[in-house]
Amino acid sequence: MNLLEVMGIDVAYGYAKVLHDVSLKLQQGEMVFIVGRNGAGKTTLLQAISGLLKPTAGRIIYQGQEIQGLPAEKLARQGIRFVAQDKKVFSDLTVKGNIELASYASGEDLGRAIDRVTSLYPKFSEFLGRRAGGLSGGQREILLIGRALVGAPKLLLIDEPTEGLAAIVIEDIFRILNEMKKEKVSTFIVEQNLSIVSRLADRIYIMKEGKIIKEMADRAEIGETAGLESYL
Amino acid sequence: MLETLIYGLTIGAILYFFSIGLSITFGTMQIVNFAHGMVYSVGVYLFITFLPWLGKFFPFALALAVVAMLPVAFLVERFVIRRLYGESLDYAIIATYAVLLIGADLIKWVWGAMPQPVSDPLRISVRFWEINIPLYRIVVFLSAVALFLGLRAFFNRSIVGKIVIAALEDRPGVRCLGLDVNKYFSIVFVIGSGLAVLGGVLYAPIATAEPYMGFHILLVAFAVVIVGGMGNLTGTFISAFVLGLVIAITARFWSQAADTMVFAVMALVLLKNSLLAAWRRLTGMAARTG
Amino acid sequence: MASPRPNTFPVAPLRKGIIARDMALIAVCFVLMALFIRLHWVIDFTIFCILVLSFDLLYGFMGRLSFGHVLYYGTGAYVASLVLAHLSSNPFLAIAAGVAVGAALAAVLGFIVMQTDGAPFALINLAFNQIGFWLVASGFQRYTRGEDGLNTTAGAVGFINFTNHSIAFGFLLVCLLLVFLLLKVLTLSPYGVTIRSIKENDDRVKFLGYNIFFYKWLTFVLSSTVAALPGTLFAIFYGFVAPTIISPFGNVEVIFAVLIGGAGNLFGAIIGGVVYKLMSNYLATSITRWEMLLGILLLIWVFKFRRGLTGYASELILRFKRKQGVEA
Repeated sequence: MNLLEVMGIDVAYGYAKVLHDVSLKLQQGEMVFIVGRNGAGKTTLLQAISGLLKPTAGRIIYQGQEIQGLPAEKLARQGIRFVAQDKKVFSDLTVKGNIELASYASGEDLGRAIDRVTSLYPKFSEFLGRRAGGLSGGQREILLIGRALVGAPKLLLIDEPTEGLAAIVIEDIFRILNEMKKEKVSTFIVEQNLSIVSRLADRIYIMKEGKIIKEMADRAEIGETAGLESYL
Repeated sequence: MLETLIYGLTIGAILYFFSIGLSITFGTMQIVNFAHGMVYSVGVYLFITFLPWLGKFFPFALALAVVAMLPVAFLVERFVIRRLYGESLDYAIIATYAVLLIGADLIKWVWGAMPQPVSDPLRISVRFWEINIPLYRIVVFLSAVALFLGLRAFFNRSIVGKIVIAALEDRPGVRCLGLDVNKYFSIVFVIGSGLAVLGGVLYAPIATAEPYMGFHILLVAFAVVIVGGMGNLTGTFISAFVLGLVIAITARFWSQAADTMVFAVMALVLLKNSLLAAWRRLTGMAARTG
Repeated sequence: MASPRPNTFPVAPLRKGIIARDMALIAVCFVLMALFIRLHWVIDFTIFCILVLSFDLLYGFMGRLSFGHVLYYGTGAYVASLVLAHLSSNPFLAIAAGVAVGAALAAVLGFIVMQTDGAPFALINLAFNQIGFWLVASGFQRYTRGEDGLNTTAGAVGFINFTNHSIAFGFLLVCLLLVFLLLKVLTLSPYGVTIRSIKENDDRVKFLGYNIFFYKWLTFVLSSTVAALPGTLFAIFYGFVAPTIISPFGNVEVIFAVLIGGAGNLFGAIIGGVVYKLMSNYLATSITRWEMLLGILLLIWVFKFRRGLTGYASELILRFKRKQGVEA
């Protein structure tokens, strides 16, 4: 059984339709990437799955139950975590405070939650008392991913984790995503960095203008970044 | 003069108690909540009613009045404020104003339109440099300071406080962790309302209660919140006392202008950016045509 | 907030026939009311409706809610009274003076006030209104007689004698129709389209190259100037003004009237003004808990009948037309 199945959803803002009849699936333990140009609707898709947006048509099935239109906080409690593109952390709280909210919300012990996050980026153990707003872009992304992993979520949705980051930092992110892949964390990732995509993806969906135009499941085909580029 | 300053600080303290809830509601829900005045005035009238029942024991009556109003505040938040979240500002203003209006009429109905005086519960004065200052006013001032420190601790250290701070900046982020932001904003709203009642009751021995008291303090409170910055806790604290002093000092020299002076200050603050921009525009225009 | 539904009162070309028809309709309705209801109530309606129309321009068409609109109404009233008391008993002079001062005040304050928006805009206007109220009640007490109020009598000009109620009513009705005409023409003009666009989205209009500050300022001045007119008429007809006329609480009545009738189409302002005044006259005299009822009604309107009577009327008409289209 699929962990997540999106069936023919449309999403519209007022009269403007952004997603047209989009269908995807994700199995437990897969790391699937969604690729496409800016404006293709990738963020909207993740927002619809996470409960921040309500589809105007279609269904989303998660763990065998229909979840389309349910509010984000409810879905988060059922194990779906969304990491947004803007890399916004709770800047007025400390790093520890950020983790505290995640631990409180998920019921996981604070110590364990902190360990989880610092294992991704050991320097955080020194930064716990620091205001989160002072972190660099890369550090914030890692904090956000760490926060999302607190409470062992069942489905992770990550929107453009490497956007705007320097090459060295991108490799850090790659390392973290690789670890997650080894631990079989089920993840949907929107990503435009094709090198990362080709090294990590189990499967890829390619989106254009609000529709899925291709699904790639063949590892060899995925490995060829040149081939991917031709679709964008 | 010292008396005037003490009076100003006392008024400032009351303003702080009342305005902090207003400021937070604007910060969390982007709504100008006129109904805040309703909670305040009805709470004070309840206090006046409870006082004789409880053998004139001020603190009990105070606590009872606050507790009685908390569910009312919750109902207002749940059925009026929450429904207007995200909508155009006008509707929130009109709806909460309607609640205020209903409250004022309710007071007139139940308690009558005549003002009700309350006597100073402490009735002790303290001597400072040949002036008698009612101990009560000092207590009120200190309570406001205590409140400020308490709120700081609440927002910095308690989990609810942290959730609210986080949600103010990144509401979807908080939701995506699994936390129901509405619930926490609701809690803070009710706390703010309770503080308004507290402030009102503390004010009662200094002023008299009348059915439209909610309207009057609201006008001044708007000035406090705007001058201090909507949603800015420290700013509200400072501006409450500054404006309290403005009222007291103006009242000393030109008694009828006291309230109005507050508006002049608010206008100046609101417009300092606009006045600068307007000035630049004017001089810019002059430069172009000249 | 832009709603996805198309505006049911689209901007139409300036069709003089339709405007004339509208004006005739209003005139007939008012005359009928004058025949069946106490004349001096209808005079009250007429003055109030002009005030509400002026507010509709600012709030209904440009979407800016001010809590201090009544300042200009009161200014018109006091200036007119002062002119009658000290300068001349010519009512037209009083009207002209009241409107002129109102316009000047709005021009200056508008420049300042239009730099803000949203809640600060509503409140800064309230602040100015409150300051005006205080000036009238205390500050300029020497001239305005403060809380006691100012008594005046307006002289007759030609056949226009305000002590004759029928003639006064006729004059006021003409004023109402002229104001309606003026606003109708303005709102159907390119200016009208611009301010409606500003209501939807400030920035886009700016990016089209318009100086939106000028339009916002202009609308504020027009709206406030028109508000001064009924103030002067009030002073002339009733011969007495007191600070309550400029009290900020008066803004609630105007806002409520616009809500009931439906904002943004002028008819709504007139209908709302009449309905509100009818309610407040009938109900205030027969129900003691009148303010509570007003509050409850306001709540119901905000949550259920937001688009007002004209909004629902237009929806019904649309639905009716659609049905006709299907059957045909």
